[in-house]
Amino acid sequence: MSSVVRLDHLVKQYPNAPKPAVSNMTLEIPEGAVFGLLGPNGAGKSTTVMMLCGLMRPDSGSVAVMGLDMQEHGAAVRKKIGVAPQEIALFPTLTAYENLVYFGRMYGLKSSHIHTQIKKYLSVFNLQEKAHKQVGTFSGGMKKRLNLIAALLHQPKLVILDEPTAGVDVQSRNMILDFLTDLKSEGTSIIYSSHVLEEAERICTHLGIIDEGKVLQTGTRSTVMGDHPDCFNLEQLFLKLTGKNIRD
Amino acid sequence: MKILSTIYKEFLLLVRDPGGMALIFIMPLALVIVMALVQDAPFRDYQEVKLDVLFVDADADSLSAKIRQAFSASPNVNLILEKDSAAAKRRVQAGEVKAAIVVPPQSSVRLRNKTRQVIANVFANFGLPAQVDSTLLPSTDIKIFFDPAIKANYKQALSGAVEKIIANVQADWMLDELQNQLGEGRPETKKTEINLTDIIHVNTAYASENKYQGVMLNSVQHNVPAWTMFAMFFILYPLAGNFIKEREEGSMLRLRLISGSQFPVIAGKFAFYFLVCLVQFVMMVAVGIFVMPLLGLNRLVLGGDALNIFITACAVAMAATGYGVLIGVYFKTAQQALSFGSVSVVILSAIGGVWVPVYVMPEILQTLSRFSPMSWGLEAFNDLFLRQASIGVILPDVLKLVGFALVTLSASVLIHKSRTVV
Repeated sequence: MSSVVRLDHLVKQYPNAPKPAVSNMTLEIPEGAVFGLLGPNGAGKSTTVMMLCGLMRPDSGSVAVMGLDMQEHGAAVRKKIGVAPQEIALFPTLTAYENLVYFGRMYGLKSSHIHTQIKKYLSVFNLQEKAHKQVGTFSGGMKKRLNLIAALLHQPKLVILDEPTAGVDVQSRNMILDFLTDLKSEGTSIIYSSHVLEEAERICTHLGIIDEGKVLQTGTRSTVMGDHPDCFNLEQLFLKLTGKNIRD
Repeated sequence: MKILSTIYKEFLLLVRDPGGMALIFIMPLALVIVMALVQDAPFRDYQEVKLDVLFVDADADSLSAKIRQAFSASPNVNLILEKDSAAAKRRVQAGEVKAAIVVPPQSSVRLRNKTRQVIANVFANFGLPAQVDSTLLPSTDIKIFFDPAIKANYKQALSGAVEKIIANVQADWMLDELQNQLGEGRPETKKTEINLTDIIHVNTAYASENKYQGVMLNSVQHNVPAWTMFAMFFILYPLAGNFIKEREEGSMLRLRLISGSQFPVIAGKFAFYFLVCLVQFVMMVAVGIFVMPLLGLNRLVLGGDALNIFITACAVAMAATGYGVLIGVYFKTAQQALSFGSVSVVILSAIGGVWVPVYVMPEILQTLSRFSPMSWGLEAFNDLFLRQASIGVILPDVLKLVGFALVTLSASVLIHKSRTVV
């Protein structure tokens, strides 16, 4: 199986920070995987995701997405990836439909394709009745679902999700996770950055547990768990690898 | 298409923001009307103001009669009779009136005697028969009391007017006395009526090709273009605020994640707010033409060619929008951007001649004003409105405004791009 993402000796240190946020990270994510990027607060998940999206340059090392080096082919890579950031990246005074039309146009999609995609996803995420309401009036769960749709309009081959279920109700979370399972079955690769280990256990085929900017454990879910037979679930494994100290 | 989509998106965002709409369209209209009204009186100089002046006629003779007669024909001075010079001084001191003219007793007699003596001396010098009187005659002292708060130009104008009247009376009487003494012993000789004002005329006219002759810088002609530009530059408030809000709310992040150049995002914002600036311009000019006369102000006169006015308005709109985009892109928080932006616009407007015309500023500010885009715009509008200048005259200012817009826009794109990847 070829890799959709390859991180090679990636290093990133913020100015005035005592140690690197990402330290010599090497990681490979196979095509078609749902990869759970897991780690405590300050582990380097967000910095890794930023470099993966081309929003941040590494100090050294390289990021390759679908065989293309991010630094050299950033624009081409961004066409193939969809990112749903943790924050709600939408215009609150535009309606759901207006938001999606605008982002579709900025992706360079044809008008007919945009409307088809919007109708499809609004239906999938049960937002069709709210299509013409301003996003500012939406609940947290509805915003998160819409945020995800905005990342999918251009049918990316790789979807990067940063805490897609944070702050949403059980029903919305269940809908999102079901959708991601379906998306994976269509061949889309997914990188899923989250604190919620039960969700990772439910949908991820591969795991990468990181802390202090380093990869502690990576592989398929079964191999990762198999390497630690003393751990009965992912949470026990996570605590074993990252410790029980509170991270702020 | 991406730029058009961004323009439409900006339109939707603005129309759903009542505060922003008020700031862009209602506040500037209120501002230009208030400023035009407030500055109307200071802009009206001596020619336009009717000044109340006390007149103490202790002379009650031909000199004081001439002064009264001259001022009664003046549209700018309203003489109010006062009997006592001490009371007149008190009323001026109290600020009740701006000035008082006191013509002392015997002024006409003294002036007449002095004139007669001067002519007699001249005759004697040339060996002509004359009754020379070598007594030192008292001079005529006409007093003018001024309120210390009077504007310097009013004071100068009133003194000048009194001196002119006296000089005319003196010249008349000298000619009269000259004829009297030459005609002594020749009763058959009739005196010639000499009208000194027929000898030389001073005609004033504005050096303008304007079809509305006599258009001069008044409160409306100054304030409408000046505050229109101020309002256009204040577009930075909603523009930069919106830009930073999008960054803080996260929608800008998604745009950064979308493949391709960030140029359509910046260009779309620029184009939309450029159009908003033009709408502001049209509204403010319409207020100057149709609303200001209803408030007792002058009507705004657009002396220049409509195309040239449109070109200048576009250049100002470009400069204002470019500056707003730069502020929005450069500053990281709304507080920084809006504080810096507002204060900088006020400073640029002050040195640019928006508050008061550049020519009344100290020399150092006049030098600084050459670097304010608002000064370039205002100068171009004055050239068009008051002097009906051709495109060749306004072109340097228009090019400076366009250059300013291109520099700020290029800097904005570079800064925004540099922050897309950190």
